Amino acid sequence: MGEFFFNIDHGYLEGLIRGFKSGLLTTTDYANLVQCETLEDLKLHVQSTDYGNFLANEPGNITVQVIDERLKEKLVTEFTHLRNNSLEPLSTFLDYITYSYMIDNIILLITGTLHQRPINELISKCHPLGSFEQMEAIHIANTPAELYNAVLVDTPLAPYFVDCINEQDLDEMNVEIIRNTLYKAYIEDFYKFCEKLGGKTAEVMCEILAFEADRRAIIITINSFDTELAKDDRQKLYPTCGKLYPEGLNGLARADDYDQVKQVCEYYAEYKALFEGSGVNPGEKTLEDKFFEYEVKLNVQAYLHQFHFGVFYAFIKLKEQEMRNIIWIAECIAQRHRSKIENYIPIV
Amino acid sequence: MCLTQLFLQNEAAYACVAELGELGLVQFRDLNPDVSAFQRKYVKEVRRCDEMERKLRFLEKEIKKDSIPMLDTYENPEAPQPREMFDLEATFEKLENELREVNQNEEMLKKNFAELTELKHILRKTQQFFEEVEYERRRFGRGRGVSISQDTSDDQQPLLGDYSVAQSRMKLGLNEGERQALDSLAMEDAPSHHDGTKLIAEREGQPKPHLKFVAGVIQRERLPAFERLLWRACRGNVFLRQSEITEPLTDASTGAPVNKAVFIIFFQGDQLKTRVKKICEGFRATLYPCPDTPQERREMSIGVMTRIEDLKTVLGQTQDHRHRVLVAAAKNVRMWMTKVRKIKAIYHVLNFFNLDVTQKCLIAECWCPVTELDRIQLALKRGSEESGSTVPSILNRMDTSEAPPTYNKSNKFTQGFQNIVDSYGIAAYREINPAPYTMITFPFLFAIMFGDLGHGTIMLLAGLFLVLQEKRLEAARIKDEIFQMFFTGRYMIFLMGCFSVYTGFIYNDAFSKSFNLFGSSWGNIFPFPLDEKAREQAITNLGGLEASPMLIPEKAYSGEPYPIGVDPIWVLAEANKLNFLNSMKMKAAILVGIAQMTFGIILGYHNFKYFNSKLDILYTFIPQIIFLSCIFIYLCLQVIMKWIAYDAAGGYSVLGYFYPSSNCAPSLLIGLINMFMMKSRDDGFVDGNKYCNTSIPPGKPGGCNMVGLCHLNNWYPGQHLVETILLVIAIVSVPVMLFAKPYFLYRRYRHKTVHYRDLNDDDVPIVLNGDGGGVSGSYPVRTNILQRTLATC
Repeated sequence: MGEFFFNIDHGYLEGLIRGFKSGLLTTTDYANLVQCETLEDLKLHVQSTDYGNFLANEPGNITVQVIDERLKEKLVTEFTHLRNNSLEPLSTFLDYITYSYMIDNIILLITGTLHQRPINELISKCHPLGSFEQMEAIHIANTPAELYNAVLVDTPLAPYFVDCINEQDLDEMNVEIIRNTLYKAYIEDFYKFCEKLGGKTAEVMCEILAFEADRRAIIITINSFDTELAKDDRQKLYPTCGKLYPEGLNGLARADDYDQVKQVCEYYAEYKALFEGSGVNPGEKTLEDKFFEYEVKLNVQAYLHQFHFGVFYAFIKLKEQEMRNIIWIAECIAQRHRSKIENYIPIV
Repeated sequence: MCLTQLFLQNEAAYACVAELGELGLVQFRDLNPDVSAFQRKYVKEVRRCDEMERKLRFLEKEIKKDSIPMLDTYENPEAPQPREMFDLEATFEKLENELREVNQNEEMLKKNFAELTELKHILRKTQQFFEEVEYERRRFGRGRGVSISQDTSDDQQPLLGDYSVAQSRMKLGLNEGERQALDSLAMEDAPSHHDGTKLIAEREGQPKPHLKFVAGVIQRERLPAFERLLWRACRGNVFLRQSEITEPLTDASTGAPVNKAVFIIFFQGDQLKTRVKKICEGFRATLYPCPDTPQERREMSIGVMTRIEDLKTVLGQTQDHRHRVLVAAAKNVRMWMTKVRKIKAIYHVLNFFNLDVTQKCLIAECWCPVTELDRIQLALKRGSEESGSTVPSILNRMDTSEAPPTYNKSNKFTQGFQNIVDSYGIAAYREINPAPYTMITFPFLFAIMFGDLGHGTIMLLAGLFLVLQEKRLEAARIKDEIFQMFFTGRYMIFLMGCFSVYTGFIYNDAFSKSFNLFGSSWGNIFPFPLDEKAREQAITNLGGLEASPMLIPEKAYSGEPYPIGVDPIWVLAEANKLNFLNSMKMKAAILVGIAQMTFGIILGYHNFKYFNSKLDILYTFIPQIIFLSCIFIYLCLQVIMKWIAYDAAGGYSVLGYFYPSSNCAPSLLIGLINMFMMKSRDDGFVDGNKYCNTSIPPGKPGGCNMVGLCHLNNWYPGQHLVETILLVIAIVSVPVMLFAKPYFLYRRYRHKTVHYRDLNDDDVPIVLNGDGGGVSGSYPVRTNILQRTLATC
């Protein structure tokens, strides 16, 4: 039923986002980018795509960092336009998208402060989509409780943080746990929100978020081997809205090495394929890349449906992937490391 | 049009392309479509142009920022020689560096200035805070009449050092947060005492716990969050006072105005100090040193003021310098931009070219009109001479099977019409260009709809003004889009005005009023008796008309029509003016419209005949013309017939049926609907189709007995049969129009592929240079049908 009235409130933005999506680089664009010899070549070629003159006003030689900044700037401009023109419930949905960047920024800042880096340097590294007012004051906090009470209580992330409040000092392990707990709470909350929205949005978004949850669970498990993270602590970090829940997650909680993880995932058709095609040998793709590819596939599929919010999420994610690709190619060119230049994730 | 090949000497190529560019008569083809943009030959030059453009844009931005008018002479500078590029580059480089340096200096000065201004505000505002405190303390002390220790002189007065101040503050209605802050401060100061005076008395002689403070400036919009965070992070152990700086300060780097506020934070202890400082840093608040004593503050304030004055003079000088640089640049920036763009365009074109084997010359392919070949040759010659090359450029006509691009020659008069036609679709090469016909039909059709002498005159004058002032307006270069639209269509507006005046005259309509030039053909049939009774009598005599007076055609019409146009009497007709005018105008419009459509189809026939396309003539033209004539041309004939044969009086036979009076004149609109519905109707207008007299009431002998609603009946013998046949033919021609041509093409295509497979088993088809491939994959029947459906609609 919601589909009938979708266009009244969100038709313009959906049209816009589909236009943006069709501006994503194509395989021929990538094929041309890969051939570039210098960053100047890259700039020249990118000019002929949807990015247009986004690098035209840069004096002197461009660096990868400048490209990265401009790319982010463009994404933020587009996103801000969408956000400013959106109506409920789309605006809340778009806010949800920014929360994940906020979590990343908080973690980045805390880790940076732990390593005694100056705050200004850290701020410039933060993702602009996830910036919030109190962000720069994070470094006053020494314990999670302080962090919550002083800084985060006013942000939308506050409810996610409740589980992490304790009086322990912040250290690296702690920060990782905070990150994963926040993410777990965030993904579950986002999942619930999408379910509440119902309709096509729920159908598309739950699929994507379930994959996101499972990916996190699998990666947490794999990364936790040979660390001091206890198994039941680990299980607490798994988001419970994925397809692995509950049996798969139990299996993951018991796993001791990579092969056991693989075994658990054998029972799930989607993930089995991902594990089978991956490896660390040269010529094989890493599991991470496989996950990225699968994510891209899900996001592209979101565009096969009409009248839902999934396209907005998918666009941001696809754009992020595209930015990663461009940066990857640019880095390979800048560092004269051409053998790995083909390792970007194509968006098809 | 013909495809030509150009052989240009390496060194002459630039000049030749520049000349051709000024001429604007050739269309170059990209000969290396597979080479990506950064692998082409002149990519370095293009990049240099990009860089120059960037510098110019930077200059332009700076000029706009200072709102200096840019001189725009609208002259069209010649494309500069390649060697001039170095000069240009050097000039831009120098300008940019100079400007950047000035900007940097200015920014630094401005930053200094901003900092000093902020400091000035801080000193001023904090002074206010302290004075307030002092005043309150004095008042409070006086009020209580209790002695306050005399040795706490002005300089040593601790800020908020005693509880009494806090108490008095509370009475002044401080907000909740402030009160709490003060409370907690006071509690720390004097955990058990509630009497301030006692506290002071007790404290005398012992070292006082020292309250420290920091003062700074923060952006106004960040203040609430800052205050909240400060409160939370320090657990309420700090006290913040803030005051807004009323005048907006300018941001040093962007120059945008920002609103800021001064704050002063009181706290105790070093730990809190680091914490507060961290928060300030986090919120990008700038802290300034603020001395403790009023004496020092005063001195500092004076120092700041003098420095601000000094800075102002330096800043003024810097800005003057910047202004001078920019004014000098503003004179040329537009021309430079044109030049750089021309260079860039030339190198873009050069990138299309092929190098020949000897690397000595460039080969270009381009389309150009055959009639203009001489001018192109001349331009090439000029280009070669200019570059001083010894070998002339060669222009060589090539044979090709490719369809050339359409080139319609136009001048300032035809351009507007050509634009309109092109917006519907550009005719294929060698098809008839409909634009010349449009020059008459478009304004005329417009006038049929618009037809008003008054409005038409206004339009005519407006068009005339645009046409007469054309040179001056063109020179003025008005960029406004709407105006441009009118200006390019000025001849059209002029013609539309002319035709509107004509149709307005025919419609006898000027601002909805009419002229009675020749005297109306209708006369008044009503006598003018003076008394009421006699008039009523007269009206009854005239046929029992009740309230509304009516001119009965039989009596009021003089028999001679108005010489030209619509009779002015119709303006007075209240009840049926619209009916009459609408019906007349609609019929006229149908006639003209159908004529136009028929003409279009005939033009199409000429196209088909020229291309010798039998298929199109048989399955497009013929069904189209049949369809049109069966329904619409038939309707037109009916219209003309009705106009000629049926007059107002009646009482004679038309086409074998007796026509009694004007109320039986056939209704064509309903007739057309009935034709489609194939509804059976009665024949003729009156019973038995014999002479009758309309003045005798129906029913009586000799009176007219109408058959049903007589204007809906068949009005010529065999009408039903004729119309049924026409309709069937029309319906049958529709599928022919839609499907016949695609079907035959499809059959031909299948036939061909089978045919080819037999013969060319191992032959590779020869592909011409740059030729697009043939139709690949299956024949697009569906697309074709779709296209035809759209065209028919």
